[in-house]
Amino acid sequence: MTTESIERPPAQIPAQAGIGLRAEHYKEVIGSQPPIGWLEVHSENYFGQGGKPLHYLEQARQLYPISLHGVGLSIGSTDPLNKAHLDHLNRLIHRIEPGLVSEHLSWSSVDGKYFNDLLPLPYTEEALKHFSTRVHQVQDILQQQILIENPSSYLSYSHSTIAEWDFMNAIVENTACGILLDVNNVYVSAVNHGFDARHYLRAITADAVQEIHLAGFTIDIIGGQDILIDTHNKPICDEVWALYQVAIERLGAIPSLIEWDSDLPPLDFLVEEASRAQTIMDECHALVA
Amino acid sequence: MPSLHELQSAFADTLLNPDTTHTLSYVAQDKISRDQRLFIYRNHVFSSLTSALQGAYPVIERLVGAAFFRSVARGYIRLHPSTSGDLEQYGDSFAEYLSGLKQVDEHTYLPDVARLEWAYHRVYFAADVPALSLEMLAKVDPDQQHQLRFGLHPASQLLRSSYPSLRIWQVNQKTYSGDQTVDLSIGGNHLLVLRPQLDPQIHDITHDEFTFLESLACNKNIADSLDLVADVNPEFDLTSCLQKFISNKTLVIFSLENQGDQTRAYRKGDRTWPQSKRQKT
Repeated sequence: MTTESIERPPAQIPAQAGIGLRAEHYKEVIGSQPPIGWLEVHSENYFGQGGKPLHYLEQARQLYPISLHGVGLSIGSTDPLNKAHLDHLNRLIHRIEPGLVSEHLSWSSVDGKYFNDLLPLPYTEEALKHFSTRVHQVQDILQQQILIENPSSYLSYSHSTIAEWDFMNAIVENTACGILLDVNNVYVSAVNHGFDARHYLRAITADAVQEIHLAGFTIDIIGGQDILIDTHNKPICDEVWALYQVAIERLGAIPSLIEWDSDLPPLDFLVEEASRAQTIMDECHALVA
Repeated sequence: MPSLHELQSAFADTLLNPDTTHTLSYVAQDKISRDQRLFIYRNHVFSSLTSALQGAYPVIERLVGAAFFRSVARGYIRLHPSTSGDLEQYGDSFAEYLSGLKQVDEHTYLPDVARLEWAYHRVYFAADVPALSLEMLAKVDPDQQHQLRFGLHPASQLLRSSYPSLRIWQVNQKTYSGDQTVDLSIGGNHLLVLRPQLDPQIHDITHDEFTFLESLACNKNIADSLDLVADVNPEFDLTSCLQKFISNKTLVIFSLENQGDQTRAYRKGDRTWPQSKRQKT
């Protein structure tokens, strides 16, 4: 363990572009070491005790800082926090020494049943209090700050009283967690619910944003109306790149992830998308300097 | 206005049961109706759980066909929802579910093939451990060897089937290009699924080896485990059996019931392993 720690690059995620590491690209990433700042993985894919996933993740960690992105903790659930899930996550954190640990503003289980999906919360005072308490508990157990990501959603609740950006900001206020700003999710939800994505980007607490996600979506037509589905299987669209530029102009350079989870393109394509994000950050920085 | 828990419980019901009576009147609707919006989530839940089952049971999917697999998966998901935020855990009772399905009555081998696939899936993610220390083993006093207990690799699973489940598994691998017919009359098999390094292997082992390993896995010592086998097969070669399963990393740890203070080197090739009690008399 000690030797591994000495050989590893620092844990901290640099303010550069990174890509998601998926099993299909393990060998190529480790073999070719593409010029990207960092990698992100889904925490749950490494909850096993051994075998290939951890073997390759350990190797990748010798080359890059790594961010752990969770999809299954179900922070917004009214069930008790899943201690076994947190134990797995804690073990993984100690093993990999990630630079960032993130989860979602959502729930995915109730009454012991899991739906393995990011289900939407109502944005009410009750939900805000509940979610904040849970983020507190998670941070206490993990003994570290986590980032909360804004979700894509396909429905809203008529009894919601708080705008999503205000809800996110209030969680930060209540728990001192950070924000993972998914610009694609802002766009998807803005189209689906008819709010102004640019307003969202202006309203979010700038100091809290420690990571950005960029991804592609799919358009479904339901009832004669477009609905955007956050599928992570397409290139990033022009509107999302434009929003990203707006976000970077306001926030400065922020670790920015190209997120692609299914129908994976060749690794080179992901690296090119990362380099496009890097260029936007570099140009904004040059303008400021 | 529902409480957060009421909302989540009702939402969960509508995800698993499209026929539910919950109206979820608090889900906003416009041109896209409430039901259409909920359908997006329901569709995603079923498709990601189905993908998890496809990932763990590729041979079953091939055997029953993609469309039928999806319909079986749909029934399974409703009856046995996921209970973990880790999708790799999903599907542990799929073999039992298959064995209760009328539609696959004629294909009675399916549950055993599913058990083999689940064993392979579990072994894939199980812990890595170093090989057994032969140096340490050699220090065990020969007088105490019959008291040795061995532990199996955490990435190992023993399976028995009255069908040729391994043959069925092999001819349904993507990389297999030969004759796909399997003669069920060739009978059953005893299998050891093992991952000594990164890739799982499936070993077709003998009935005696299976009995012996299964006994060791139940924490019985060498003498008692040997007795079980020697009752049926007095010719059972304990030394070569141990050598085989130590060298392929099935047996990875050992312990002694009573740690003696004297140790004497065990020489390889010496038949100093205990004989069965019956043979002694």
